[in-house]
Amino acid sequence: MTGVRRISSLLLLTFAVSLSAQNLASIEKRVSVKKLDNGLTLIVMERPQAPVFSFATVVNAGNAQEVPGITGLAHMFEHMAFKGTNKIGTKDYEKERAALAKVETTYAAYDKERRMMVGSDSAKVAQLEKDWKSAIDEANKYVVPNEFSKIVDRAGAVGVNAGTAPDETVYFYSFPSNRVELWAYLESERFIHPVFREFYKERDVVTEERRMRTESSPIGRLVEQFLETAFQAHSYRQPTVGWPSDLKTFSATDAAAFFKKYYVPNNMVVAVVGDVKASDTMPLLEKYFSRIPKAPAPEPNRTVEPQQIAERRVVIREASQPFYLEGYHRPAATDKDNAVYSVMEILMSDGRTSRLYRSLVRDKKLAVNAQGFNGFPGQKYPNLFAFFAVPTAGHAATDLIEPIHSEIDRLKNEDVTADELQSIKTKAKAQLIRQLDSNNGLALQLAEYQTLFGDWRELFREVDDIDKVSAGDIRRVANALFIPANRTIGYIESTKTAAAAPTSGGSK
Amino acid sequence: MKTVRNQREDRLQPVDRLKAVRTLAVGAIVALMPLAAAVAQVASTYKEIKTPKLHDFKVPQTKRFQLSNGMVVFLMEDHELPLIRGTARVRGGGRDVAGDKAGLAGILGSSWRTGGTESKTGDQLDDFLEARAARVETGASEDSTNVRMDVLKGDFEAVFPVFVDLLEHPAFRQEKIDLAKTQANTGISRRNDDPMGLGNREAAKLAYGVNSPYTRQAEYSSIASITRDDLVSFHHRFVYPNNIILGFAGDFDSSAMESKIRQTFESWPSGPAASKVAPTERNSAKTGVYFIPKDDVTQSNIYLVGNGSVMRNDPDYFAVGVMNEILSGGFSGRLMNKIRSEMGLAYGVGGGVGQEWDHLGMFRIWMGTKSESTAQAVQALRDQMSALESKPFTSEELALAKESILNSFIFTMDSKAKILNQQMNLEFYGYPADYYSKFVSGIEHVSAEDVARVAKKYVSPNQLSVLVIGKEKDFDKPLATLGTVSKIDIAIPEPGSAPAGSKPAASNAEGTALINKVAQYVGGAAAIQNLKAMRRVGSMSMRTPQGPMDVEVDEIVSFPDSSHRVMKTPMGEMTMVMTPTAAFMSSPMGSQDIPASQRAAMQSESKQDLFTVLRNTNNPDYTFSVVGTEKIGEINAQVLQVNAAGSNFKWYVDPSNGRILRKVSTGRQGESITEYTEWKMFNGINVPVGFSVTTAGQPSGGGKLTTVEINPTVDPKMFEKPVAK
Repeated sequence: MTGVRRISSLLLLTFAVSLSAQNLASIEKRVSVKKLDNGLTLIVMERPQAPVFSFATVVNAGNAQEVPGITGLAHMFEHMAFKGTNKIGTKDYEKERAALAKVETTYAAYDKERRMMVGSDSAKVAQLEKDWKSAIDEANKYVVPNEFSKIVDRAGAVGVNAGTAPDETVYFYSFPSNRVELWAYLESERFIHPVFREFYKERDVVTEERRMRTESSPIGRLVEQFLETAFQAHSYRQPTVGWPSDLKTFSATDAAAFFKKYYVPNNMVVAVVGDVKASDTMPLLEKYFSRIPKAPAPEPNRTVEPQQIAERRVVIREASQPFYLEGYHRPAATDKDNAVYSVMEILMSDGRTSRLYRSLVRDKKLAVNAQGFNGFPGQKYPNLFAFFAVPTAGHAATDLIEPIHSEIDRLKNEDVTADELQSIKTKAKAQLIRQLDSNNGLALQLAEYQTLFGDWRELFREVDDIDKVSAGDIRRVANALFIPANRTIGYIESTKTAAAAPTSGGSK
Repeated sequence: MKTVRNQREDRLQPVDRLKAVRTLAVGAIVALMPLAAAVAQVASTYKEIKTPKLHDFKVPQTKRFQLSNGMVVFLMEDHELPLIRGTARVRGGGRDVAGDKAGLAGILGSSWRTGGTESKTGDQLDDFLEARAARVETGASEDSTNVRMDVLKGDFEAVFPVFVDLLEHPAFRQEKIDLAKTQANTGISRRNDDPMGLGNREAAKLAYGVNSPYTRQAEYSSIASITRDDLVSFHHRFVYPNNIILGFAGDFDSSAMESKIRQTFESWPSGPAASKVAPTERNSAKTGVYFIPKDDVTQSNIYLVGNGSVMRNDPDYFAVGVMNEILSGGFSGRLMNKIRSEMGLAYGVGGGVGQEWDHLGMFRIWMGTKSESTAQAVQALRDQMSALESKPFTSEELALAKESILNSFIFTMDSKAKILNQQMNLEFYGYPADYYSKFVSGIEHVSAEDVARVAKKYVSPNQLSVLVIGKEKDFDKPLATLGTVSKIDIAIPEPGSAPAGSKPAASNAEGTALINKVAQYVGGAAAIQNLKAMRRVGSMSMRTPQGPMDVEVDEIVSFPDSSHRVMKTPMGEMTMVMTPTAAFMSSPMGSQDIPASQRAAMQSESKQDLFTVLRNTNNPDYTFSVVGTEKIGEINAQVLQVNAAGSNFKWYVDPSNGRILRKVSTGRQGESITEYTEWKMFNGINVPVGFSVTTAGQPSGGGKLTTVEINPTVDPKMFEKPVAK
């Protein structure tokens, strides 16, 4: 029985390896990369399945580039990138520009007075606030609302969106393939001539986003507290959406400074995938994107998270149901052992044969879901290998600590079996193939890998690296990583059911 | 952990964001336009940019055939990647399940796969499939169930038999049903934590009514009642070739695949046909203002809810699609423009008239706003609804909406998998295969008058109910300023309690006779009524995640409703006290209140206490019915269903003498069975002193009482909480 099984998995391995190599070769033929004189990298991949294309613009700056006082600003700029340009979204840009300048000077005066530690004069604050609000009203007279979005929607775009993460800011959507030039114009213009109009109203919108994702969500609240505890120096400790006080304070002038420093061409990668020919598309893109002015590369982050020397714990006691998190500091994705961490993630988390599913979900019935995962909250800098678990009803989050740790101990003390290791390698290859079936997914992956590793091919090499991981590698890395002093634990301890909250009245 | 900018409500199914290219030239070949030639230099405004004709596109066609047993099959070759993916969609889903079994479809969808087949356990399937990075999964939705596979091409021959076996011969092994039930119960316990999930559920109940097939909600009691037989019956009721639509897409040869499918399924006999008519029972939408208090949020979730809905084959469908786009299409729609961009009141806002395939849905608008602008936001939404009648739709709005829809129509057919799914979907709902080809002209013909007419017909601003979930203390104005407010109770009924709204069945005559016999066995009605208090001392063993644990228990119950329990465990001593007004536990570390969820479980348990039940045999809140007999050892036990003031369980009673042999109840951990192995008389009261417990099929504990005192002296101080030091 075992013999038969081994033979079949060997055959499988050969098959999968050739698949991976084949795929890279076939994709390499269809991918063109060009670095422009201003430093911006363009990637075009021909995939003429249907007359459509998708793009992704990846800016190598996220909220990890923020410092206290401007947390949330990378995300705020992402919102502003939909507000138009000096030609889109305005009735008269020259007048609007003057009006926006006045918004900034009145805001600076108001903000200075209201935040004085001593001697703030409330009558003066009120007057300055009034001046600022009238300046906003004046500037709003020149706004054509949502014109950028209307142009894009009307031309047939779908999935118009963007995202901000600690490592990067990403812009993406898809168009019919007869809109390549319109897209190249719109996408380059918003990074050449951005206008920070309606900034302060958008700050309110972003604050609503914070309320939705963080403040009104039990897991959102825990994650914020957890990261702020696990990282004490590095900016991964800061929430992407920003601290409330910063959201109330930072200005369009701050956003413009952030933009000027980080939205420089050698910090950006643009990938286009779909019904496009590199021979016509690359020159077209070059024409539009080479207009972004060359500027010095931003200085890399200085602060590195120091070695953790004590276990940390953060507990939220509240009415919601329990939830468990723990994390261990690991090196950045560029580390030579990156593939070993990936293998541990698959081993612990992928599918119903994974260690955590079998132990916590299937056998002990302590959790409905339990997984380990890399790259929390980002992967460009040293980050966390983390675990989360959702306890089954009637179990506290702390009931999961020992069972998770005993699975971690197995990583440290026992060799993973040959069958398990083989299955993981097969999964990694299959997963790569399954990722190659959409323009949107490919554009994002190509641009992200190009940004993080300097070469999109790393997407394929990663699988080769996983293939080389041995049982000994796992024990070596696990023994260095999973030690109590390198650990942060965070959980929700349920104090009562939500239904029995004090004002609910209806509870029985 | 990405913070994504625009997480708008998707009011249109992706497949329905049907948007059109003008040329659906069939037969033409992709012809690439020389784009570069068109671009001599950089445009100075977007208006200068020419839009070349979209490349001609031959829409890939599926191959359809039907087997003699009625199974309909669609195939779509796609040679881009070495993958093969397939789905069997089976008629019959959650809406076809009886109300008292709500949640059955979910349990089925999960244990169908995990419970394995007759020849292989689910765990064996896991090993087999994951070694190949293959997936075979099952699922259930409102109207159907499905079995799906996704494999690397080279593994197709090995994995396809698993897919077939699972479809036809699932085993539904009990341990995996229990696992699915544990997970379902966990879902129930957590369902009020997510304000948006909570709001979506309650908004649907306002539109459809609580007991509609579309809103029936799983509760601990309905989950507990689901048996393996129910799952097997569901499978027997629906899973026949004539109720199945099968689709495969991927790297295969269609003729070879067709032979394979014919060879595999042709001999499978057809069975009773499932109804193709969707159930329609529902209430008319409620009007008024509804409020759900939730104090752990800073943002209110607000819904406007009504009955406005069309089916996708309704002549009004296209006009409704355009109206929805005008109202909440992306950032260009009225709601985003006004509520988000102009007023800064929301991050997310959207919704519209519901569009369904085979039944009428609901009208729904959603937004989230800070607690402090709740009333203002409701008013702003109501103004937007009134404006649908009072503010004429401009030609600019109409053109923007129609062009957005038409220009993006190509994205409904930009992948072969999408086209296959569309065809399967049309077949499922009995729509013509060329349905999408009529979409373009349908949208093109919508006029401003049409939009105004459907706005009037499907949105009645005065009939919409308002639902608010939020923290009342921080609202800008009381909700009462918006209308008469009704609070919605979202308390989760405890395990064992009757479903909301249902009245306990009255006792039956056999039940009354049997409970009197039990009372006689325990000591007679007079002795029981004289019971004021009881002390029980003994040892118990309990199974915990850390292994078995022995506990010494010394408990004093002061009837009717107070108890004081001291437990000595290997970890130390702990005291738990429960009175009608307080529940706390004390240890050498200090005292703390018992969490409400645990307290409710303890109260439910204390209602089921033998002596509490017997003291209440004449209380109308307690009912007793004999519901059957079951053999326990040599005894033909009568099964006595007891409803103890909303807490339900069963006693298995020896009818010859009234002795209780077994108790079956349901808690969060699943079904719990207590066997009473020994009874002993103390001062005229017969007390069960030996028992063993099995929970969810696993031995979970047992115990023996060594001392029982009837009416001991009770010090009232033992029920007082120690003052914190």
